[in-house]
Amino acid sequence: MIPGVNSKKRQMCFDWGPGEMLVCETLFKKKEKEEKMLGCPFIYIVRKDIDVYSRILRKLFNESHGIFVGLQRIEEESTGKSRKAQLVRVSKNYRSVIRACMEEMHQVAIAAQDPVSGRQYSSQVSILSAMELIWNLCEILFIEVAPAGPLLLHLLDWVRLHVCEMDALSADVLGSENPNKHENFWNLPGNTQTLTELELKWQHWHEECERHLQDGTFASNPHLESLCKIMLGDDSALLEQKELLSNWYHFLVTRLLYSHPTVKPIELHFYAQSSLDLFLGGDSSPEPLDNILMAAFEFDIHQVIKECSIALSNWWFVAHLTDLLDHCKLLHSHNLYFGSNMREFLLLEYASGLFAHHSLWQLGVDYFDHCPELGRVYLELHIERIPLNTEQKALKILRICERRQMTEQVRSICKILAMKAVCNNRLGSALSWSIRAKDAAFATLVSDRFLKDYCERGSFSDLDLIDNLGAAMMLSDRLTFLGKYREFHRLYGEKRFADAASLLLSLMTSQIAPRSFWMTLLTDALPLLEQKQVIFSAEQTYELMQCLEDLTIGRTESRDLEGQRLQDDDIETTKVEMLRLALARNLARAIVKEGTLEGS
Amino acid sequence: MIHDAQMDYYGTRLATCSSDRSVKIFDVRNGGQILIADLRGHEGPVWQVAWAHPMYGNILASCSYDRKVIIWKEENGTWEKTYEYTGHDSSVNSVCWAPHDYGLLLACGSSDGAISLLSYSGEGQWEVKKINNAHTIGCNAVSWAPAVIPGSLVDQPSGQKPNYIKKFASGGCDNLVKLWKEEEDGQWKEDQKLEAHSDWVRDVAWAPSIGLPTSTIASCSQDGRVFIWTCDDASGNTWSPRLLHKFNDVVWHVSWSITANILAVSGGDNKAGGSRFDHERAALVFSPDVAS
Repeated sequence: MIPGVNSKKRQMCFDWGPGEMLVCETLFKKKEKEEKMLGCPFIYIVRKDIDVYSRILRKLFNESHGIFVGLQRIEEESTGKSRKAQLVRVSKNYRSVIRACMEEMHQVAIAAQDPVSGRQYSSQVSILSAMELIWNLCEILFIEVAPAGPLLLHLLDWVRLHVCEMDALSADVLGSENPNKHENFWNLPGNTQTLTELELKWQHWHEECERHLQDGTFASNPHLESLCKIMLGDDSALLEQKELLSNWYHFLVTRLLYSHPTVKPIELHFYAQSSLDLFLGGDSSPEPLDNILMAAFEFDIHQVIKECSIALSNWWFVAHLTDLLDHCKLLHSHNLYFGSNMREFLLLEYASGLFAHHSLWQLGVDYFDHCPELGRVYLELHIERIPLNTEQKALKILRICERRQMTEQVRSICKILAMKAVCNNRLGSALSWSIRAKDAAFATLVSDRFLKDYCERGSFSDLDLIDNLGAAMMLSDRLTFLGKYREFHRLYGEKRFADAASLLLSLMTSQIAPRSFWMTLLTDALPLLEQKQVIFSAEQTYELMQCLEDLTIGRTESRDLEGQRLQDDDIETTKVEMLRLALARNLARAIVKEGTLEGS
Repeated sequence: MIHDAQMDYYGTRLATCSSDRSVKIFDVRNGGQILIADLRGHEGPVWQVAWAHPMYGNILASCSYDRKVIIWKEENGTWEKTYEYTGHDSSVNSVCWAPHDYGLLLACGSSDGAISLLSYSGEGQWEVKKINNAHTIGCNAVSWAPAVIPGSLVDQPSGQKPNYIKKFASGGCDNLVKLWKEEEDGQWKEDQKLEAHSDWVRDVAWAPSIGLPTSTIASCSQDGRVFIWTCDDASGNTWSPRLLHKFNDVVWHVSWSITANILAVSGGDNKAGGSRFDHERAALVFSPDVAS
């Protein structure tokens, strides 16, 4: 529900953002005539998984991520008992993480300044508590797979952990006549006795209790009598103390304790259902939590998962629990609703939600990695949508993609970064990104910008980059030209004039240099032509002259067509004249030099 | 009245367009709402906006009742009109950018029944191809198919473009959904005609690809129905429709989430929903995730 929106009066329009849904009020009828309609200008952005933004829950996500990844790695190693022990440990780890989160949330709830946020935090605490309750029960029933006998002990611990009032009841029991037998019976550290031995002991004790009741030992004290009845498993006596029992599963375990301590797992659901019915007594109907617990007592794992998915607003719980149960080989694939893999479905949903967060997305990557069917493609689709706010983040994303050979994504991201760099006038950065993206077209664009800058300022920026292009230079002709042109300048600086001259000429004759740049190149040739020694050979000079003529013929033609541009013409003509003169002089000197030297 | 709202690629900016002829861009990071630009240029209500892929920079297309398609670009921090297309004779109802692999390519559907394809060829120049009479009476929606790289995924040497088979879907007032394919000679040809609706098709949405061999298209119509069309690519050209739901009023809009697992549907009777979509079974479960 979206507050403030009166959906009866307005029509709603929906659309998808990368991680959220947009809702706005609109009027769809596209009438030919423009009509004045009173419209609401508001747009609502609906995001799933708002929990993602809570700082405390983020700890939960971070820590459970570590446990999850560790669990995936257990797989290959062990079998049998040691494996089961490992899985139980994992389950306990998850639970301790939930408890830690709950504790912290509780502290914040208490310390909260305003009642509204205090209540919000408190309700989060209840949700976490319920999650731990459910998980704990699942651990006992599905992972630990406690057999009859120890099962009740585990359930006792379970209830004790969650219901403090249980202690009040135990305290009452201590006042009775059979405290020793009672305590000795239940505080067996090693529990080396067999089920039959336990059963016999209990039977004996039970009979003794009954005898005391019938003998009227407690007749004088109605409280003690009531207690005795309770210890004999009398349901109505127990229900009379309903205020001490906080809920039906507390009632269940207490009942079992006094009437059927060696309950077998398959018998559980029967007692559970009757406990629920008796406790609620027709006054109220079961809540979602009750249904989940009941499904667990019925050993219907799929129902547990389904109910949890509906009841909880976040995929975290069902995703991790289902994954763990899948590792226990408890999930059947044939009767699942969404494809063959419930585990994968839930993990995909959970991980997708993580990608909405500016840093938690990194956790999502690992989850996708462990989804063999659709994990990769989901990762490809999500990772491209992460905003590339900083270079660091971009590099992190690229590393992730490269490690998984996601070449399309790498290319796309590099192109985006190249474009961003160009827009911010960071040409060096833009160039390296285009090279990494193998984007010839963009490399050409950036090279052109470099050359344009050079023409305007007379110097290159990012020399380091251009000097060290190496093989990358081949990506585009323009880039090659840029690299070679810079090389020309270096050679000139090192006074390797002959090499510089050859390079300069080859840039034009090989057509690598764009026509628009030829004038600049020829002008660059001037200092070489005017050196004391002859640098350009006669043949080279002829070629230079040819280039000049090619250039000026083109110019003349276009000038005729365009009309008059006086100032430019003057400068151009002067330049051309100077070049012609220099070339002619050089030619003369070259011919003489070549004529007089032997074998040159 | 806002007619369309679109998040950019990263969900950091929101573009909206309205009957007041404006196109507005907001920065919506961290739950904020800062107006970045108020673009004026249209002379009639603006029906749709579409963001281009960020590798081309910050580019937004808009189309309007004034028969124009305008392409806006952000240069040095300010948004400006970079191109205006006026080749349609009637309201332009829908614009959709092609997959970035095809370059900057925009499809536009108009009430004059034609679909135009604007393609950026560099240095501020746009080439136009027009499909006349794509739909009789008018075209209401266009949507591109995801790019599928044909052949192997070996790195193409730079400068060589892989030969994509470009396809898109359109919906019109002739109650049809049509699929278009670019031929080798660069001309666009009608590839398929999908008939199922009994009234004007209002929107079409081609689902993103998650690597499965099926293609999926959603269409919605004045007749209140939403159809999901699927094609098993192995067999080639048979598209089978499945009725997702029939609403009591016109359905205006359909939109896929980025992993194509949820389809958002919005309709005139104020019922809206998200439908979970299971590709493998092509089983559809409609559950109204968002209460009306």
